[in-house]
Amino acid sequence: MAELNSKVKELFEKDLIDIFIGYEEGTRNPRPYFAYSAQDADNLVFNDKCQGNLAVYLTRKDLVGGKRVGISASYFALKSISQLFDENQLKEDLLIVLGMKEDGSILEFKGLDEIRTYLSEAKAPSKQKDDELLKELSEMSQAERWQFWSDELSKCFKCYACRAACPMCYCTKCIIEVNRPQWIQPWISTQGNMEWQINRVMHMAGRCSDCGSCGAACPIGIPIHLLTHMMTKTVAANFGESNEQGNVLSTFKPDDKENFIL
Amino acid sequence: MSKIGVFVCHCGENISATVDCKKVAEEAAKLTGVEVSLDYKYMCSDPGQTIIKEAIKEKGLTGVVVAACSPRMHEPTFRKACAEAGLNPFMCEMTNLREHCSWVHEKNDQTTEKAIDLVRMLVEKTKLNKPLNEIKVPVSKKALVIGGGIAGIQASLDIANAGHQVILVEKEASIGGHMSQLSETFPTLDCSQCILTPRMVEVAQHPNITLYNYAELESLDGFIGNFKATIRLKAKSVDPKACTGCGACYNKCPKKKIPSEFNEGLGMRTAIYTPFPQAVPNKPVIDKENCNYYKNGKCKICEKVCPTGAIEFDKPDEFVTENVGAIVLATGFNVLKPDFFPEYGYGQFKDVITGLQFERLASASGPTLGEIRRPSDGKVPQKVVFIACAGSRDPAKGIPYCSKICCMYTAKHAMLYQHKVHGGESTVFYMDIRAGGKNYEEFVRRAIEEDGANYVRGRVARIYEKDGKLIVKGVDTLLGAKPVEIEADMVVLASAGVANCGAEELAQKMHVSYDPYKFFAEAHPKLKPVETNTAGIYLCGACQAPKDIPDTVATASGAAAKVIGLFSKDELTREPLVAVVNRIASHDVSTCVGCFMCQTACPYQAIEREEVKNRAGEVIKTVARVNPGLCQGCGTCVSFCRSKSIDIQGFSNEQMYAEVLAVLNTP
Repeated sequence: MAELNSKVKELFEKDLIDIFIGYEEGTRNPRPYFAYSAQDADNLVFNDKCQGNLAVYLTRKDLVGGKRVGISASYFALKSISQLFDENQLKEDLLIVLGMKEDGSILEFKGLDEIRTYLSEAKAPSKQKDDELLKELSEMSQAERWQFWSDELSKCFKCYACRAACPMCYCTKCIIEVNRPQWIQPWISTQGNMEWQINRVMHMAGRCSDCGSCGAACPIGIPIHLLTHMMTKTVAANFGESNEQGNVLSTFKPDDKENFIL
Repeated sequence: MSKIGVFVCHCGENISATVDCKKVAEEAAKLTGVEVSLDYKYMCSDPGQTIIKEAIKEKGLTGVVVAACSPRMHEPTFRKACAEAGLNPFMCEMTNLREHCSWVHEKNDQTTEKAIDLVRMLVEKTKLNKPLNEIKVPVSKKALVIGGGIAGIQASLDIANAGHQVILVEKEASIGGHMSQLSETFPTLDCSQCILTPRMVEVAQHPNITLYNYAELESLDGFIGNFKATIRLKAKSVDPKACTGCGACYNKCPKKKIPSEFNEGLGMRTAIYTPFPQAVPNKPVIDKENCNYYKNGKCKICEKVCPTGAIEFDKPDEFVTENVGAIVLATGFNVLKPDFFPEYGYGQFKDVITGLQFERLASASGPTLGEIRRPSDGKVPQKVVFIACAGSRDPAKGIPYCSKICCMYTAKHAMLYQHKVHGGESTVFYMDIRAGGKNYEEFVRRAIEEDGANYVRGRVARIYEKDGKLIVKGVDTLLGAKPVEIEADMVVLASAGVANCGAEELAQKMHVSYDPYKFFAEAHPKLKPVETNTAGIYLCGACQAPKDIPDTVATASGAAAKVIGLFSKDELTREPLVAVVNRIASHDVSTCVGCFMCQTACPYQAIEREEVKNRAGEVIKTVARVNPGLCQGCGTCVSFCRSKSIDIQGFSNEQMYAEVLAVLNTP
């Protein structure tokens, strides 16, 4: 931890960054924190209680627009950062990434290539609990599964916290706000809620870091992160890991599987 | 408020036999926004078109729906009629009551109801149509032809003779391709070089043709009418301007034992060489792989003997960039070296050769000066076995297709052999004889009946050597699968025609699609046989599939005709049914976030980056822009865009949605 504070302090003192995105202690769990000076750096923490994906702030123009940014990035945040680079949302010369390993040590990345190399070798943190839940769901009949999701999504009141928590949901105009034509029912209804979640997940296909922030952000605890988790597994099984392939679903390769063509 | 006119065509009885056209028109008249709805026996006829034109003028229609045949057929007709009446042609839409309804259903009420549904869908779409203007794209009237075989030569000459500039790129030191290697050609037995070399010379001397030999396409950018091709001019080590082609260099070159590619390895060449005496241009190049100087740093004999000082060692490859309006791919084919036939012993037995090697043996310019002498000991073979379909039509070997030319050239080989070796015996093993073509069947009959080639229908299982003879074991399936064993002096394999090496990389470089065998794919196998899916890039010759010379020349002229047609106008007119990235009010409020996933999804490289700047000239953001010259309107980008910031003009999301809702909300 002290390593992080002194490193960030150094970055400010050497005038390499204008803002550092990290965590500070909160009432129960650490919460996102934006350090603007060497002094602020003392407040930074990073531990296994840190939730969410800080990469979400990197596309917030009001927060970081034009500024030199540092960020403490978990494995998932690194995956998101890599994908955001693929999608032209970040500038390499304006970003300093400190990778946070599970043992608390810091990885200093000298650019995107190093992040990608690290990701290709690093092991994804275990998702045992989610995998168990998915297994339960997959053992249900189709009708039961439909009922499960209908029940869960009937509770959604479209606060879009899932969207706000997601680093990949950076569009200035979301499809839910497109009204010519009105693709998705904007009002609260089980069908409209499902339309929204299905769309959200499809838009994540091949881009999602599988961080689970969407599920964690849901104020009424709908396990929507299971949808993205399942989708990420499906994409990986068919097209390989997205951080190795670039935009898996918008890129054509001659040896792509075409077993969906009958 | 929209004022739509609906015009229901009977198409004689094609539609009215199963659809109640009068009822369709009556029901359409009840739809909101429909001002007039009529039916008529032949809408496309002159009086039919007049009905539409007058309705536009009298009722002040804002949109027209013609319910008739396929838009493929008559959309241009009706759009033109609307334009003549003063309506923007893209406010006219067609729904296909014939192929989509009357032809595929029985006569009953449901068929008529479907027709009404189809009309209702299109009325809803047409209400949302916006006037569009055709896209004009300037055309550079210069063509790039890749490949200098007979296909590339023919295409270049045709385009150049029409008065346009042509850049011809050939990867070898000489143009001529496979045809220059052939001896005589079927079905007339005229000498291949005799008919080809004058064409080669014509290319070299043509004022409109720039020939880059020993060159390859490095990269290609741009789009129809406006391609930018970068060509790598491989270092020849000989300055073609200084060289007079005297031949002193290759006469003195100490490296004399390099298998000649032109002679298919049956003859030798030097390290500094021209591929063959009639080469165009007839200037040597140095083969760096084999040259003593390039390998060991010593020699330079050619430099010493060259009277004009044309030798220039260690020069790097050069690059030229050419702006061209159209490209013809004429990269030809290759012959499978039948190594993967262990049972036939190619490579193991010297006297098992390919058809192309036999061409060199039979050619007057070949290593034996046209005498049929076998490679192992130079003796005249008294018994020759020809095996057709060596590799072709054999799914187990990965080549299920027919190589098309082998039946004919095998018959020719047998015939040439019989002509040259009196008393010799030739046996042809074949699966079927495919001799479709003018005078082809007659030619094969002549080989069998007049020249006495012995045709055996059956496969050869195995070839092995015994006492200096090649024992060919096969069956005669016309004699009840009777085993046949022939003691041959030489065996000729009609090995399969395959895609040229490097075809796949070239196709990817040019964004041309190809089939599983790496042959380039036509835009339509019947109706667009020389076009590719990329506008402005055309195909001809054996790069599409194995082809004989007449077919190759025909497709080359076909491709040339397409190029000349393209060059006949200063500007290209395209339908404006292309994608556009939205621009609500002003630039900086484009909803495009610039993720450019559309760019990787676009099969036509039509998506560009556009910088949106503020008044101070600073870049605010980078958004996608669709190049209307390249876009083919496929809509892949539209489906990829998460924020729905791209739309296809004339097929917008809103229009499609309206159509779907119209059919779902059937009253």
